[in-house]
Amino acid sequence: MVSFLFTYRGMRRPLGTAQDRIQVEVWLYGPLTRYAGEASRGSHAQIFIDLAAGCTMQDLLTLLGLPDEEKGITFINGSLAALPGLDTDRLVTLHDGDRIGISHRKSMWPFQYRFGASLTEEVQEEFRGRRDRGVHHAYATPENDSD
Amino acid sequence: MAKLLRLNMTDRTVALQDLPEAYRLLGGRGLTSAVVHDEVDPQCHALGPSNKLVIAPGMVTGTSAPTSSRLSVGGKSPLTGGIKEANAGTGFAPALASLGIRAIVVEGYPQSAGWWMAHITWNAASGKPDVTWLPADEYAGRDLYEVFPQLFDRFGKVSVAGVGVAGELRYSNSGVVFEDQEGRPARYAGRGGLGAVMGSKGLKFIVIDRKGAPGVPLANKEVFELGRKKLTDALMSHAITKPKGALNSYGTAVLINILNEAGGLPTRNFSSGRYENAAQIAGEAVFEGNKERLGKELYNHACSPGCIIRCSNTWHKPDGTEHVSCQEYESIWAFGANCGIGSLDDTGELIRLCNAYGVDTIEMGCTMAVAMEGGLLQFGDAKRAIELMHEVGKGTPLGRMLGNGTATAARLLGVRRVPVVKGQAMPAYEPRAVKGIGITYAIATMGADHTSGYTIAPEILGVSGKVDQFDRDKAALARNFQYATGFIDSTGHCLFIAFAILDIASGFEGVVEECNGVLGTSWTMADVGRIGKDVLDRELAFNRAAGIGKAQDRMPEFMRLEKLPPHNVTWDVPDSTLDAVFE
Repeated sequence: MVSFLFTYRGMRRPLGTAQDRIQVEVWLYGPLTRYAGEASRGSHAQIFIDLAAGCTMQDLLTLLGLPDEEKGITFINGSLAALPGLDTDRLVTLHDGDRIGISHRKSMWPFQYRFGASLTEEVQEEFRGRRDRGVHHAYATPENDSD
Repeated sequence: MAKLLRLNMTDRTVALQDLPEAYRLLGGRGLTSAVVHDEVDPQCHALGPSNKLVIAPGMVTGTSAPTSSRLSVGGKSPLTGGIKEANAGTGFAPALASLGIRAIVVEGYPQSAGWWMAHITWNAASGKPDVTWLPADEYAGRDLYEVFPQLFDRFGKVSVAGVGVAGELRYSNSGVVFEDQEGRPARYAGRGGLGAVMGSKGLKFIVIDRKGAPGVPLANKEVFELGRKKLTDALMSHAITKPKGALNSYGTAVLINILNEAGGLPTRNFSSGRYENAAQIAGEAVFEGNKERLGKELYNHACSPGCIIRCSNTWHKPDGTEHVSCQEYESIWAFGANCGIGSLDDTGELIRLCNAYGVDTIEMGCTMAVAMEGGLLQFGDAKRAIELMHEVGKGTPLGRMLGNGTATAARLLGVRRVPVVKGQAMPAYEPRAVKGIGITYAIATMGADHTSGYTIAPEILGVSGKVDQFDRDKAALARNFQYATGFIDSTGHCLFIAFAILDIASGFEGVVEECNGVLGTSWTMADVGRIGKDVLDRELAFNRAAGIGKAQDRMPEFMRLEKLPPHNVTWDVPDSTLDAVFE
């Protein structure tokens, strides 16, 4: 487990030259904004968080206190990183300047509107390994977890 | 026996004919496209005497099938020059179906000036619908929010199809308007300028009073009920379509934040894929804004009778009074991100004005963005955009320029970034960032149309293992999406049932069984591709004869030349892939 040197929630700020720290930009949407504390704008929140270099998405989620049952569609730098039922982002290592967007579990992105969009390598690998090749709208219902 | 109702605007004669055998198993888009294919000269002028306006409820519309009050409106499009089917959810659809009318065909050409409306009632004595012609000049040139209540005061509980000022002025961007559940002029068969076709016929309104009408007969009630229950169960349990699910909570605008994060939200006339103020105009913001202004949570409502998805929202003013219904994804985006306007109050007013004057929000928002790029106003200038919308409603020369669509405005303003395919403006998904929707835009028979390629799982269509989202050649998958959509559009179901039936196969079985229960057929799921293909084949044949071929199945040049932030990607799908879709 990587330890957090410290966290900072607020405006983006320069990190200096420290090699052991990174700063990521996190957008939380809908009910998830309550995990942003005072940065919540009701429907959304934008926060900048300082992490130790080497932190993963799981570390970030732990820091935010964001429970699995509320986490929905997730992006890392504009690439689809996770969907409800596809926890493909947990082990992704974050880097300085990354933008992470997390929607509530009740959000949606139907297949035809993400067909051909940017996917993280982990999501691509997951889809390629499925019998249905990922051609579904949602993945969280047991009957659709065809593998 | 089911009927076709012909309204001849040359002499205002009416013909009620038995539904031809060739049309017996058709409904919705399948029927409108068949009539247009069979009866309209593809080379005709869209606003001339040879074009026809066809209005058809779906196969199961008017029954208790869930979320099935959809209506197709067809004709030759003055915007694209090709075949058009525009679709709306409205009480007009089941009202028409309940009269035993499978389609209204508006034809002919008026011989004198003046506006008319057709008042359709059920005659119990004759067992047939009656049509009465009434002058409608008193309603012309006016805000539809004023006119609709007057129609309901005059005729009681009726359903209305009509045109606003835009249709009267024959704008290429004019829709056919229908009432929503609260009687607002808010449900539009908006795309492709079919309001201008109706306006060219001198037909202002069609008013239906369904009182005493017999309803839609079932050929096999047991089979229908089996199917209805399966589909209902699927819709009520799927995460996207269930009560208090994604659509019921946040509406379609839940996609604003998603597409923005994906870098696929067209911004400032398709110059970027990410808008810095997107979160302020997203579905989550609509929900929170209403909660703050009303002091309670407000979930969405049904746009039409019998819808159990309930994704239509109402936006409220700061004092808690109603502003507009509805602020859905494409409409918010068109005036929001695409125009650099980050206020739901502003997008709400612009959408309300589209409803009031009778134009399509997607086309109008794209036109406004082109006008911004052309220097007519600045990006983000909501005040001026609202003023320009009033110009559209007044029919000033400037308003007429803007009312005739994105391509027309771009040509007049010397703008080269023109986000259209076949003359129709693109909806709210950036094709450079989401390549699959780009293929759909390019090859759709309707011009750039996000609703023509809805997904049904390949295994359901019987092509499992033959298509793959990771294949470089995506033609086969795109083709199957087109066929699946052609089928759903014909059933009378809202396309959003696709969200559930893709993932829950029994729901899809239910749709087919509903159709069998109404039509007396013995279709299986294997028939769906064939039925959808028939729809597309007719539309493609019409377009080819109208001069719209593969050379028009292309994305605009700027998308191949300009890299789209934040992914910095261009449109790079080979033309050979597009050409292969319908080969």
